Amino acid sequence: MPGPLDGYRVVEIAEGVAGPYTAMSLGDAGADVVKIEPPSGDRSRGWAPALGGDSVVWKALNRSKRGIILDFADDSDLNAASQLLRQADVAVVDKVGLLPELSWDALGAEQLVYCALSGWGPRGPWAERETSELAAQLAGEATLSLGSPGEPPVRLGTDAGSMYAANYAIQGICAALYARDVSGRSGQRLEVSLFGSLLAMRSTLWVALSNPDEWWGFHLDSYEKPPDHGYQCADLPIYFSLARMGDAGVERLIDELEMGWVRDDAQFEALKRDGAGGAGRYAHELKHLWEQGFAAWSAAEVIEKVERCGGWAFPMHDYARLAADPQVAAVDAIVEVDGVRQVAPPWDFDGTPTGIRRPAPTLGEHTAEVLAELEQQARATL
Amino acid sequence: MAAGPLDGVRVFDMTLWMVGPWASMQLGALGADVIHIEQPGVDPRTLGAGVPPAIDGTSIGYITWNMNKRGLFLDLKSEADRETAYQLLETCDALLVNMRPGAAERLGMGYEQVRAANPRIVYTTITGWGEVGPMRDRPGADVQCQYFTGFWSTNGARGGRPEVYRHFTQMDATTGNVAAQAVLMGLLARHRSGEGQRIHVGMLRAGMALQSARIAEHLATGELHEPLGSAGFAAAPDQAFRCRDGRWIGVSATSEAEWRRLAGALEASETVGLPRLAEDARFAVNRERVRHRDALAALLEQAFAQLPRDYWLLRLGDAGVPCGYPLTWDVLREHAQVLENGYIREVLTSGWGRVQTGGPPWTLERTSARWFGTPLPGEHTGEILDELGSRAAALPAAAD
Repeated sequence: MPGPLDGYRVVEIAEGVAGPYTAMSLGDAGADVVKIEPPSGDRSRGWAPALGGDSVVWKALNRSKRGIILDFADDSDLNAASQLLRQADVAVVDKVGLLPELSWDALGAEQLVYCALSGWGPRGPWAERETSELAAQLAGEATLSLGSPGEPPVRLGTDAGSMYAANYAIQGICAALYARDVSGRSGQRLEVSLFGSLLAMRSTLWVALSNPDEWWGFHLDSYEKPPDHGYQCADLPIYFSLARMGDAGVERLIDELEMGWVRDDAQFEALKRDGAGGAGRYAHELKHLWEQGFAAWSAAEVIEKVERCGGWAFPMHDYARLAADPQVAAVDAIVEVDGVRQVAPPWDFDGTPTGIRRPAPTLGEHTAEVLAELEQQARATL
Repeated sequence: MAAGPLDGVRVFDMTLWMVGPWASMQLGALGADVIHIEQPGVDPRTLGAGVPPAIDGTSIGYITWNMNKRGLFLDLKSEADRETAYQLLETCDALLVNMRPGAAERLGMGYEQVRAANPRIVYTTITGWGEVGPMRDRPGADVQCQYFTGFWSTNGARGGRPEVYRHFTQMDATTGNVAAQAVLMGLLARHRSGEGQRIHVGMLRAGMALQSARIAEHLATGELHEPLGSAGFAAAPDQAFRCRDGRWIGVSATSEAEWRRLAGALEASETVGLPRLAEDARFAVNRERVRHRDALAALLEQAFAQLPRDYWLLRLGDAGVPCGYPLTWDVLREHAQVLENGYIREVLTSGWGRVQTGGPPWTLERTSARWFGTPLPGEHTGEILDELGSRAAALPAAAD
């Protein structure tokens, strides 16, 4: 059965994370994706760590595509890129693809949905500025939910700005295809930026800052809470919350953990209802007391006790424990593509299943094949 | 105002809390008529899971996550309202639900039930952990998913322990965005096949997909990421440096061309004592620079500390080296780059005055997106029922 985007043709002229993940997702969903790289290759091929020459990031973000090399300094290659774009339904471009000859206006292809990924957005004083994941995270305030005020900035280890932008780009592309195919509109140019995506993803904070009844809530105090490392048990850290637990449940949990001594602590007694979990108002104030109690038990034991008393508790996985978790296996979250284990596409379509079409291409793997197709089409139209 | 790209699409939105409402909010921004269902008489203090802070007693969660929609009261446990729901469903293209597995079926709103009435429906159900497996029936929300998926495990001060991202919404919003993608793909597939389908999106897999690069790195190497502060794992230099005036600048050279530009700009700068980086074999290519990241960082720290941030912004900007610096909300809300792109907007809500929020992240040149304020629960009930009534009146009488 074909995927939901079966039949659409996508040309990607992008590199790094945002553009490649966007085009890969369209490929996983059934589109025919051709990625154009310069002779030196996508920058991410040279990132660390490597896996047989190319980087792991390259392999994880470029499956379900064919890859070709075109040298835009060469007129016939530039012409081939322009032809490929003019025949496509979707273009995914970033700075690499922003040659004047390959702009939406220059192509004059009314059917094309031309998605430009940028750092800062199409308008404004920074429109032409160079960008990076780090620059966008800093400007988009993402680093203020990590680390401590006054200390060196801490970034999200995940390339959140690029991935958020990719997720929005996929939406924008599909919406523009819908307008074109169902509503009879033309194609169009659309732009999504890392900066704008990071800001959109923090919308809950912007509303919280608008006119709150009181200055409290984990959205607001996320700015100045100390770093959260979870609750350490004898072996591993966990997350836990008393939110759904009645007062009797909290008392029972204290008994089960054999930490009745904590009832002598006046601060604990006063704040305990709101003194646990990542989001609790006084979680930081009481954390050392809970951790003193948890130290006698394994994470699995504490989770079991919290759940038995009506609360929530979850293991705090690193990637090794995540990959070994039975739930991850049950939902097939990790797949192997040509010997490389990676994260599966996130949607389940009952009627039009998505699927990984092929492993990430070696540099120029499909150049001859795609150019031959192009030539064949040119002959057919003569 | 020009029609949005989803003009003509109608969404039956029976979502709750954050992840589902976030998904339907995107569809509304793109032009769909999203009809958000609430229980008549719902206690406003329970909306948006009661997440603090509130504005006039309603969680900012509800207010943030239900923009771009109309509000309809329906009691899906009552026979009469369920009949109305089904009349409405006949006019809808998509349905979104984020209840635990089996809950929608018990309300008579399961996929098979809805499909019988409208086979063209694109029916999307969102779960926390998936529809199978030992955790299938466990509650799942952003906080739990962030801890469980290891989203915390790659962040943290250099040499310190990994730490959680304290703004607990990113897994929910990411899953909502992935669900909105799925609806859109389902609508495109329907255009081709004429048939709707059932779609599932789970927070576990969506949250893992967000971390595709880092998770794959672990799976390939068996190693865990050690927190690097502001530095990136894949390339070097790609981190923040403290300048002479105490301010920070983030500098990234994630390609060889950017590295050459940075090395050139540093050499041309008014710093003293910096060796010629371009000729140092330890820094010749990215993987070598990553291997020697500490030595490289030490040299660069010394260079950046010699001159103020604005000097570096100018010099690196002229050289085409990606760089940026920390901004905060009070600056962002008035920043020209934000305002000219509409990335933060003030919208008028129905019950909570004017609030600021993120605007559409897409700049669509011909079918622009929109962003408008949150309805009161059930605010448009009369209007929507009138529309249904006039539709029923316009239909030919049943032939029995």
